Amino acid sequence: MDLLVTLGPHLLNGLALGLLFALVALGFMLVIGVMEVINLAHGSLFALGAYVAVALVSAEGGLGVAVLGPYFELPIPARFVVALLLAPVVVAGVGMVLEVCLRRTYGRDPLYGLLLTFGAALVLEELIRLVWGPTERFLPVPASITGGITVGGLIYSVYRFFASAFAVGMILLLWLFLQRTRYGALIKAGAHDSEMVRALGVNLTRLRLLVFAFGTALAAVAGIVMAPIWGVRPHVGVDAVVPAFVVIVLGGVGSFWGAVIAGLLVGLVVGVTGAFATAWSLVSMYILLILVVTVRGRGLLGKKSVLER
Amino acid sequence: MTAPGSRQLPGWGSPAMLLAFAFFGTLPLWIERVGLYRYLGVEILVWCVFALGFNLLLGYTGLPSFGHGAYFGIGAYAMGLTQFHLVANLWVGLLAAILAAAVVGGGVALFISHRRGIYFALMTIAFGQMFFFIASKWTSVTGGEDGLLDIRRLPADLGPVAFDLTSNLAMSYFAFAAFVAVTVVLWRLTHSPFGKVLRAIKQNETRMAYLGYRVVAYKWASFTLSCAVAGLAGGLFAMAQNGAYVQVMSLQWSGVVVLMTLIGGGLVSFWGPVVGTVVYFVARDLLGAYTESWLLWFGLMFMLVVMFKPEGVAGLWQDLAARRAARRRARTGALQPAAGD
Repeated sequence: MDLLVTLGPHLLNGLALGLLFALVALGFMLVIGVMEVINLAHGSLFALGAYVAVALVSAEGGLGVAVLGPYFELPIPARFVVALLLAPVVVAGVGMVLEVCLRRTYGRDPLYGLLLTFGAALVLEELIRLVWGPTERFLPVPASITGGITVGGLIYSVYRFFASAFAVGMILLLWLFLQRTRYGALIKAGAHDSEMVRALGVNLTRLRLLVFAFGTALAAVAGIVMAPIWGVRPHVGVDAVVPAFVVIVLGGVGSFWGAVIAGLLVGLVVGVTGAFATAWSLVSMYILLILVVTVRGRGLLGKKSVLER
Repeated sequence: MTAPGSRQLPGWGSPAMLLAFAFFGTLPLWIERVGLYRYLGVEILVWCVFALGFNLLLGYTGLPSFGHGAYFGIGAYAMGLTQFHLVANLWVGLLAAILAAAVVGGGVALFISHRRGIYFALMTIAFGQMFFFIASKWTSVTGGEDGLLDIRRLPADLGPVAFDLTSNLAMSYFAFAAFVAVTVVLWRLTHSPFGKVLRAIKQNETRMAYLGYRVVAYKWASFTLSCAVAGLAGGLFAMAQNGAYVQVMSLQWSGVVVLMTLIGGGLVSFWGPVVGTVVYFVARDLLGAYTESWLLWFGLMFMLVVMFKPEGVAGLWQDLAARRAARRRARTGALQPAAGD
């Protein structure tokens, strides 16, 4: 019992991390489902989201302040909310440009989509370096969700509670969207058999564009929420997107709740390992992946899919 | 240029091979005249070896690995560790580099060679990242973020004569010798029945399985062999750099070898990876002289290649050759169809 109590803050860290990994993974999975493309630039879009948010919240950095002077007189909480709403839209715009480039690879070897997005990841990361410089930036957070609360002599970070709750909210909204709306049904149908969806008279080109924009917006949201925890570096995208791969393979490609469960599992394993052996916490998720996938080839809840061609 | 997909006469070489050997064999003599430096030649040759081995997997078997930097890195560490803790002998070091990468790669391949497409790619990323993190945290063995420093370029002892490799000129020739050996071996391999099976797996894995081929075993062999070559390249790189560093094992560097292989045309030509490596390093030095963010421009170039000409430089060359041949045929009025290339 004592052990569980001391683990408390680490479990919270793991929970927040896991839920955000799940959020990144879900955006990623929407794109895999409908487009059959592994978007290696997903992590860079995650980082871009964090940077755009920094530009919208932090008064440092010159350019933004000069152009939008009066805007920066708003209090930080207001700017934080604006960033949470606006940055994903900006990133979704970038995602749409990428999708237009990707169109040339549809219907060909999936390898090409993978390679194109790898190039895009390089380009985005260099662009970030060019615009914001290589040094680490910080996203100011409203005072109401910073600091810590002490429970049983241990300090719990308030922000991580916020991040977890936010991610849970986003995941539920996403689920409702997919289950309850017409567009959600189209996305699921598109993931199942996109040609049939087209044959039924749905504008597949537009559906793909929107799904891609939506997936990248989710990456950006996760990037913003993660920013105060991880800090904002040009390379931060890789740290986010690789666990998202792990989560997807672990949960089973195409399975919504598989991704959520796998995300939580990965987060908790990373968090708990972090309590005992910090250096090894990032390796633990790969060991978990290999163990699970050896026993269950398609991941926890995965089914046979078109992606195995 | 010879396409992996085209019919080949089994043989030990081709005019393109002689051309490549002449180019790289004389490289140390003129590289400084064109404003570059000898160490660049060493780097190019080492990465050519890496990319050629990688293309066995990507271009011939159609399996994308985004974690190959790990095996390159393992080779580099093995080179250093045998030198420090076992015996200071060049050949033992290189053998250890090859074996270490092949054993680790073979082990990984056991887990992933029955996978396909995107699953395969994701698993290679997961394994690559795992080795990257292990290497960066296992400080007592790998030196962690600082790397394994002071790896010596041991003399190449051939019995009666021994060559000192400390100068970049000597190292160039040594890397060239390794390049020749790897090229000849891979050429033979890809033009053997084994290579034909790999190409067939690339085209249709299911059909090959129904034809009775043990597809998983072939994929395992292809992965392990390309890891062994990556290990050799890593060992050479550790010599060239006088150290082994963890960065080469990162996702980004694993991606760079994919980029080199593809941009040169590894999907359609044996020589694609070589062309791509030269393009990459020359672009790095030329663009890098003008702008800090040369990777931005290189990345854009790469995106354009994937969008408009995924067969890369070699593909362009083949198109030109085909057009020239067609024009010649039209001119001479020959009626017989062109036989192969």
